[in-house]
Amino acid sequence: MDPREAELERLLAAYREACPDPEPSLDFMPRLWERIEGQRSWAREWRRLTEVLVGAAVALSLLLGVVLARREPPVSFYTSTYVEVLAANYSQEGPLDPEVLAVDQEIPQ
Amino acid sequence: MLVDFELVKRAREGDHAAFTQLVQAYRKRILGTIARLIGRPEDVEDVGQEVFLRLYFSLDQLRSEEVFEPWLYRLTVNAAYDYLRRQRRRGEARMADLSEQHVMLADAAAGSRAQQEEQRRRQVRETVQALLANVSEQDRILLVLKEIEGLSLKELEKIYRVNENALKVRLFRARQRVLKALAAQGATARAKGSA
Repeated sequence: MDPREAELERLLAAYREACPDPEPSLDFMPRLWERIEGQRSWAREWRRLTEVLVGAAVALSLLLGVVLARREPPVSFYTSTYVEVLAANYSQEGPLDPEVLAVDQEIPQ
Repeated sequence: MLVDFELVKRAREGDHAAFTQLVQAYRKRILGTIARLIGRPEDVEDVGQEVFLRLYFSLDQLRSEEVFEPWLYRLTVNAAYDYLRRQRRRGEARMADLSEQHVMLADAAAGSRAQQEEQRRRQVRETVQALLANVSEQDRILLVLKEIEGLSLKELEKIYRVNENALKVRLFRARQRVLKALAAQGATARAKGSA
């Protein structure tokens, strides 16, 4: 084995021995549960806020839906088509004057 | 495995007592691994807490109880990596760069045999930390897990989810860099000795 390799091996083994597993402090578990609870309550708050926002959005949508549904329909200028109006006028006025028709026929093509 | 699968299953299902038992079974080993990975004894517990916090909130993502240990090691590696990256960003000195004053004070106090032994250990820690500082955080972690923690390539494969050959290549390169640093360190020491 290369002497440098051997030296590195020796150093790493010594490092393992010089860094034993430390004893956890007495408050390790209480501190951990405290942090877990902290994060969980934060997550709960966040979820609650999200639920409130979603609820508010749904309520607003429903409210807008109701308001729009109850509104008076917009005034329309045209209730029927041009052809329908023309047909209605024609039936009210009766057939065209025969003289007008005759004049029409006399117009040279 | 330090615990049986049943305990992991119970912890996954939200049993707080089972989770506490799980942490108590693994915390010493995980704290030891973290200590050797980050090299700053004062921050070991904080990183350890982070590991078990992440474990608590990710237990439901565990595919099966059999992969619990690699999962826990992956969380440890990630937490250690995050810590080392933060440290680099802060530009803080590593353990190897302890102030001269600290070392001199400790040297002066090192009278008894126990103190001498502690001093020797500290020197070893500082030397290895200085050598490991020559590789990236990722390679440093990989090297520590393989060479110091004694994890097999199969175990590392499960932790990293990378194939064995890719791991071998990374390990070889990291080791070469550390050897190079060791050679440079030896040359520096010889130069100081001859001066």
